Amino acid sequence: MSNVQIDTQHRRRFRKEKLLDLMSRWTFMFPAGFILIAMLAYPIVYTIDISFALIDLTTFRVAEWVGWDNYTYVLGDSRFWASLKVTAIYLALSLPIQMILGFGIAYLINVEWKGRGFVRALFLIPMVVAPVVAGGVWRMMLDPLYGLTNYLLGFVGLGPYDWLGDTWLAMWTIVIIDTWRWTPFIVLIATASILNLSKDIFEAASIDGANWWTKLWSISIPLLLPMIAATFIVRWLGAVKMFDIALSATGGGPGASTQVINLFIYEEAFRSLYFAEAAAMAVLVLVGTMMLTGVFLYGSRKLEDLY
Amino acid sequence: MSTNPSTSAVLMRRLHVGQNVRILAGVIVALMFLLPVFWMVLTSFKFQRDIFTTPPTFLFTPTLENYTRYLQQSNIPYQMMNTVIVAFGAGLISIFTGSMAGYALARLRIRGAGFLGVLILMSRGVPPIALAVPMFLVGRSLGLIDKHIYLILAYCTFLIPYVMWLMRGFFLALPKELEESAMIDGCSRLGAFFKIIVPISLPGLLSTLIFCVILAWEELLFAIVLTNRIATTVPVAIANIAGDTVNGANWGALTAVGTMTVVPVVIFALLVQKWLIQGLADGATKG
Amino acid sequence: MISIKLVNRRISRRATMLMGAAALVAHGLGSVPAKAQDGGGLGTPEAPVNLRIMADAAYGNAWQEVMVPEFNKKYPNIKVTIDPVPYTELLAKQMLDATSSDPVYDILVLDDPWTPQVAETGALLDIRNETAQWTLPDYDWDDFNAAPLAATQWKGVQYGVPMRSNMLLMFVNKTLYEKAGLPVPTPDLTWEEYLEQAPKLVQDTNGDGVVDAWAIDTYFKRDPLTPTIWQSIFNANGGRLLDDGGKPAFNDEIGVKALELHAELLKYAPPGSVSHGYSEALASFRQGQVATSFNWGSVYRNSAVDPKTTTLTPDQVGLQVLPVGAKMGGSNRGIASGTIQAKSKNKEAAWAFLQWFSSKEGEKHHVNNLGGFPARKSTLAATPEPGNEWLIPVFTALQQGFDFIEAGEMWRVRHPKSDAVQQALADAVAAVISGQSNAKDALDEAARRAARTLR
Repeated sequence: MSNVQIDTQHRRRFRKEKLLDLMSRWTFMFPAGFILIAMLAYPIVYTIDISFALIDLTTFRVAEWVGWDNYTYVLGDSRFWASLKVTAIYLALSLPIQMILGFGIAYLINVEWKGRGFVRALFLIPMVVAPVVAGGVWRMMLDPLYGLTNYLLGFVGLGPYDWLGDTWLAMWTIVIIDTWRWTPFIVLIATASILNLSKDIFEAASIDGANWWTKLWSISIPLLLPMIAATFIVRWLGAVKMFDIALSATGGGPGASTQVINLFIYEEAFRSLYFAEAAAMAVLVLVGTMMLTGVFLYGSRKLEDLY
Repeated sequence: MSTNPSTSAVLMRRLHVGQNVRILAGVIVALMFLLPVFWMVLTSFKFQRDIFTTPPTFLFTPTLENYTRYLQQSNIPYQMMNTVIVAFGAGLISIFTGSMAGYALARLRIRGAGFLGVLILMSRGVPPIALAVPMFLVGRSLGLIDKHIYLILAYCTFLIPYVMWLMRGFFLALPKELEESAMIDGCSRLGAFFKIIVPISLPGLLSTLIFCVILAWEELLFAIVLTNRIATTVPVAIANIAGDTVNGANWGALTAVGTMTVVPVVIFALLVQKWLIQGLADGATKG
Repeated sequence: MISIKLVNRRISRRATMLMGAAALVAHGLGSVPAKAQDGGGLGTPEAPVNLRIMADAAYGNAWQEVMVPEFNKKYPNIKVTIDPVPYTELLAKQMLDATSSDPVYDILVLDDPWTPQVAETGALLDIRNETAQWTLPDYDWDDFNAAPLAATQWKGVQYGVPMRSNMLLMFVNKTLYEKAGLPVPTPDLTWEEYLEQAPKLVQDTNGDGVVDAWAIDTYFKRDPLTPTIWQSIFNANGGRLLDDGGKPAFNDEIGVKALELHAELLKYAPPGSVSHGYSEALASFRQGQVATSFNWGSVYRNSAVDPKTTTLTPDQVGLQVLPVGAKMGGSNRGIASGTIQAKSKNKEAAWAFLQWFSSKEGEKHHVNNLGGFPARKSTLAATPEPGNEWLIPVFTALQQGFDFIEAGEMWRVRHPKSDAVQQALADAVAAVISGQSNAKDALDEAARRAARTLR
């Protein structure tokens, strides 16, 4: 066989291998991609569709195209902006608290002792309580008249506070309940990430005389950074969608001071049956969320590179 | 390097004290977090007239009525079974598909995969309310309304992105040599993934699975819209009781159902804990 | 050694997952219930009719357990399944089913303001005319009070029959009135008298120096039903929600004063009431902490009779219409009615059920076994069976209420877009009660939004 023939054979095999390799790489993405596209394609297209139209409630489909009308209406609606502001406040308060608390607690309970698994399982419980029940139980506990919270605080001379009636306190109520429900999630993931850390590096550092503080900042945090970033993004996306807690605890009140954006969209869609306007709002929220998520992702990648 | 016995003994003692303080703090925080749960369980044993007293009562005539009434008379056991099927079905499918996708994002350099991944993550930004109605319309035309499988797939749409991004984080933290050495030995990519990466990442996988099961367990909106009677789940039952605009929400019943739904998941988590530790032990002995 | 363990685990894990997934798929796809052969008509023993009903979970389950078996004594070949849905999603689900080309449900139980929008989709049967052939001679349409029947009328067509009547009423804790040295209220009580008495009803009943009783608790929170309280004051003073041209008329002088009154009631309510709704108002009344409560009459039993849920007894609790305004006493209608879908294949069986349920016989069974409220004049005039004496004062209050409701048009906006208008009203009321806006501005804003919606 000539060299040229061997060469072409090699090249063909190489191309075939490359193709197979590419296919095997895409096999990893395929199952997930397939399910998501199959289930989400139509709903997302539908939502964008009806956001540009008037909806005919006898068929739930487009009645007539009105272009950007729905969007101008939504953007001109002061309630929409008020709701966004409420959501921003809620996010700015709850996300940092939850991240710090979550990782802090994970660190606390990570000590190797017999009860570790049990304590970890205990921490799961707030996450598992149904949102409606959680909102309701907290409401019961925070009511000025028959609530446990003011009763207990009374013993140390604090209060009574109007947790649900005062505008500012109602926001804190939402933040508290949300933190109570979701910090366990962060603890869960944080624990797993901490467990994932290889012990050798820590031992090497100890031998080199590093103390607790240095180890934290030079080793733990840099190694945990991908997980911290991932957890933050997952949590941020979940927090933006929160509405069941606001619904069951304060109903968006008092006035509209805890009406987060998803609660507002829910009310417009399911109570007022304003599906087209709600769709326009959903698209706007999606775009805004995407942009901010992009910013966060970019930021986290920069941080990852730094370390 | 000074390793004389007295300093290392002091170090050990300081270590122990530090650790004990951490343990104690952890337990205290756990108990604080559990206070509402304790209140919920307590309330589930009260008659309705004892629930809204001023001041709140700790001494009262207890009753099992809230539990027996709901276990015997209502549909709750059946709905519980549905919830288990749907939550675990969605969880397992999501873990399976999502971790593969997460691995692709973390390790495999595929053009466009990163972008696709980001796109999938962004899909989490769509308010679920916007998705419920069109999903219902599609399901109705396919005859899949009130079927478990449709609800499971609907849940996968929000679980898979989470799994993908969380597992990506876990995989990124693993050293690259692991699968490279396996592939040099003649293993295929898929093989390397399942034989090497998966067992090592068991803590991450299991934690993510717990998270997925929990999320699916308590999901309400899709369950209401996409099911009627056959595939209806416990969150719907809870919403039914809570939204009782006729007799007033029965908080005794609600807290009873709330307590009942907490128990299976906690048991599941406790069981999985053992695997978690074991998986870790095996991983540590990989050498 | 390690690798064998890992391999084993890998195989079993993958296999289990695959098997699990396969099982789920099989279960999901295979769980189509065998459609029973519809015998048509009233069914036969070999081919029974399957009737499906969508109703609020609050009473749907009770009906399934108590009403359906009784119905089956008369019509044994009609299998009735009532699917419960939470109230907040009920309208959306009903609209989704109604707009289907092949609806699942034969009967939709609609809440008071929903008939216009569901009827506009063309999904509802003209129940009075289309079922005349199957209506029994003793059904007696005229025996119904006008108000509950009107709940399912739209553009001159009768679409349904009342199944569960309800209305806003005033619950009175007589003991607290006595403790304050005030006469127990009668239906003639005016708003002026009420407001005069209110401060005295904020009292310390056990002499420990701490106020532990208040005058009122009711809907104050942000909720679509909160405006009904404002509206009852508004209607009692002669106000009308919409004028003859269908335009919002509620932001007039009467409306503003009514909203200011509603907000003023907070002064005499327990601490934290600004976030109180239906459940909380119920709770404080049942604990004997408030002298009056404006709430839906259906909670009377759990608030006055059942010792497991309340600390009060029937002799302590009075029930009547809300205080008298410039024109009449106040109330608000909340009727749940059964309608038949025009595309249903079981119209005869569906009417058999609805007819029986709302007949004199069915109402009697409903009243005596579930304490449900009737819509017929004859039932309200009759004496309840022994053991249900607590219903006697309830019936008096209900009949009063129906008369006022009819005279004062005391119901939520009748329009296909009524929910959107109700939401605008809810926002206005919430803004004023939480002190974030004054009544005039809030109602003007609501009127503006309503006008756009009603266009």
